[in-house]
Amino acid sequence: MSEYQIETLEEEKQQYIVVKLGDEQYGLDISYIDNIVVMQKITRVPKAPEYYAGVINLRGEVVPVMSAHRKMGLGDDTITKATRIIILKLEVQGLVGILVDEVREVVTLGESEIDRSAQNKKNQSTFINGIGKNGEDLISLFDITALIDQVD
Amino acid sequence: MDVSQYLDIFIDETNEHIQSLSDNIMVLEKEPENKDTINEIFRAAHSLKGMAGTMGFKRMQRLTHDMENVFSEVRNDTIKIDSGMIDTLFQCLDAIENYLASVKATSDEGTEDNEYIIEKLNSYLPGADKGKKEASAPADEAKDNEASAPAEESEEEGNRAYLEMSLDDATKDAIADAALNSKIYGFTISIQKDCLLKAARAFLVFKAVEDFGEILAYNPSSQDIEDEKFDLDFSIIISTKEDITKVKAAIESVSEIEKAVYGELPASMYSKDDAADRASDDMDEADEKQDDDASASSGAVPAARQTPSEAAQQKSSAPAQKKSAGKPVTARTVRVDIEKLDALMNQVSELIIAKNSLVSISDSGSVTSTEGQQLHEQIEYLERITTTLHESVMKVRMVPIESTVNKFPRMIRDLSRKLNKPMDLTMTGEDTELDRTVVDQIGDPLQHLLRNSADHGIEDPDVREKAGKPRQGTIFLNAFQEGNNVIIQVGDDGGGIDTEAVKAKAISKGLVSEEDAEKLSQKEIIDFLFNPGFSMSKTITDISGRGVGLDVVKSNVEALGGDVSVKSTLGQGSTFTVRLPLTLAIIQALMVEIADEKYAIALASISNIESISVKDIKYVEANEVIHLRGRVIPLIRMRNLLDCPEKEDEEDLTVVIVSKGDNLAGLIVDNLIGQQEIVIKSIGKVIDSNKIISGATILGDGEVAMILDINALM
Repeated sequence: MSEYQIETLEEEKQQYIVVKLGDEQYGLDISYIDNIVVMQKITRVPKAPEYYAGVINLRGEVVPVMSAHRKMGLGDDTITKATRIIILKLEVQGLVGILVDEVREVVTLGESEIDRSAQNKKNQSTFINGIGKNGEDLISLFDITALIDQVD
Repeated sequence: MDVSQYLDIFIDETNEHIQSLSDNIMVLEKEPENKDTINEIFRAAHSLKGMAGTMGFKRMQRLTHDMENVFSEVRNDTIKIDSGMIDTLFQCLDAIENYLASVKATSDEGTEDNEYIIEKLNSYLPGADKGKKEASAPADEAKDNEASAPAEESEEEGNRAYLEMSLDDATKDAIADAALNSKIYGFTISIQKDCLLKAARAFLVFKAVEDFGEILAYNPSSQDIEDEKFDLDFSIIISTKEDITKVKAAIESVSEIEKAVYGELPASMYSKDDAADRASDDMDEADEKQDDDASASSGAVPAARQTPSEAAQQKSSAPAQKKSAGKPVTARTVRVDIEKLDALMNQVSELIIAKNSLVSISDSGSVTSTEGQQLHEQIEYLERITTTLHESVMKVRMVPIESTVNKFPRMIRDLSRKLNKPMDLTMTGEDTELDRTVVDQIGDPLQHLLRNSADHGIEDPDVREKAGKPRQGTIFLNAFQEGNNVIIQVGDDGGGIDTEAVKAKAISKGLVSEEDAEKLSQKEIIDFLFNPGFSMSKTITDISGRGVGLDVVKSNVEALGGDVSVKSTLGQGSTFTVRLPLTLAIIQALMVEIADEKYAIALASISNIESISVKDIKYVEANEVIHLRGRVIPLIRMRNLLDCPEKEDEEDLTVVIVSKGDNLAGLIVDNLIGQQEIVIKSIGKVIDSNKIISGATILGDGEVAMILDINALM
């Protein structure tokens, strides 16, 4: 019993929501997430950065929605029944939505299960700050501030 | 009780007094003999001293005390106002402002003693030696007492509530104990009728009294006083070893205290038996004592007065004081936290969105049935209510621009001295009202414009004389409401903008080629002044000339949904016109359709709507224009601008003519949807990188529509 307690103290565990983008799995730190909503009408914003799909009406608030596909250079989104908008709550930017293909599950990862060195091999992975290992699956963990902040 | 809870009130009031001092000193500079103004300044300094004292800000108290001394002498005609003294007084004000800033930041006045200013102040006192200064202080107090004493005698019967206080045995014991080594006095303190914060005043009174002795009993209870559960007066019983007139003076120095009546209470009154029986006997005794006091202090009056004319002056100042104290400026008002108003405004916004969705449901359904007809009528009724509600809330949020512009006369005065150019600021329409948020943010842009006028606009007096103008320059600030906008004009009768010089500068900066420059209109040339980093000043001064002026003004004003324009005549001066919307959150808009997308255009910027034939489109330098009623109006194809797929032109085009200042433009849209009241929402910082969209709104059906920023289009 006491041994177990010591272990949890030593290693901080974090929860991630696992989403699918194309064929890959990505993890989003759950502490940033305000809400997950089903696909709804997105209003285009002219002259906005191209990786922003537009804005939605979230309970009376206008929330910008980013296309993770376009931001990651994975081409256009294909909207299916499984498509979800993950609403992030950020300190500076307020509410921001991210369009993902599918929301799979919530996983709990300790620092020992995350590989921090496997990044920067490809350019696009500047939004990734680690690879989580969940059994057989590998999950790329988003660096959320980098994902949202990066302005071209 | 803790002083800190009254810090806000202290800061508010100090600000008011500083402003009143500043205004009055400005008046004094022009009319050094104005007695009303001198009295006004004396009173403001006196109140500041009292407030600083009760809050324990000793340095601030000392400075204001010395200011008060100087004015007491000015009031007595022993010294005269001169310009050096005015400067010193302004330094005092700045010092007090610094104290206040420090109080705001740290709840403490800081450690700056301002010895230099105090010395300067004291040097104005007759004889200019310290002894004299000490002597004048008690004389002051005697006069204060004397001013209130005659008034008391006539109208103070029945106000000795302290004699009828019911006390429990424990309190009586405490009083009896205290009576052994100090004197017991009863006080009944009356607060002015229009006082808003009675509890705070009472607290300040207690605080003042505690410097001299101990408060033994309260009526009503201290808790009730704190909760403001009392009418206009309250009573206390105190024990003190000090001179009671000092206590009285301290109490009456708290602002908005009408008067304090006191009498000594014999300890025997509070021995446990027969207290009630003896109360009435003691009352006579106390009355006598009061009369004695009054005559004693009025006995001191002849000594303090030097001439009969001054006696008359003293008398005339007393009613004046009453009049100003009775000014019902803040009567029948409540102070509300601006956040609560914001919350209210948000709820009204929600209500309007909900109403809009009802409207769209009723529009889409069949309205032929009787029920449908009724629904329609009720919704129209609801629509009227929400519109009125919105207007009411908007009005609540409106404040006069006075609070922002009233610091400008002082600023221009200082600039006038610094630049060695005589100039005067005239202001009209200070009572024009604007949304609180706008008023808070418009100060900086206006200040820029005024500095600009003072520095660049007004010429040197010699130059002015040669041009046949009065040596003194005039700067003006006029504010007024025009429809849904508020216009603020800032200008001067100075040299005006030299468009040739601006043109040359623009060419040398590479903003325009020499050939193109020739074709530019006067207005287009003046617009260069709003470019970032564009300064016409040859030398950089600390007033202006760094080129961070006008572009900042422009962007600040545009951020508030307004715009700036300039008119200038060489040799006669320039006028900057700032146009601001009355409200920020909810506007009337025209909804239009562009390639199946809905967009809103603020109704305020639409001048008219035209249906034109494709054949009427002309070309000027390869740009499409339309000739309409004698004006050539450039056309903007919204589909192109908004990156929508192009389509074949129909026979007739719908054109929304929008205006910005004197400029017009025609926006080609697909369809008109109709007029609607819309709530402006931000589209978020991350996506805000584009200029043509000023925000978004939620339509009745829950859909989001973009609001076009007309200012950026033109």
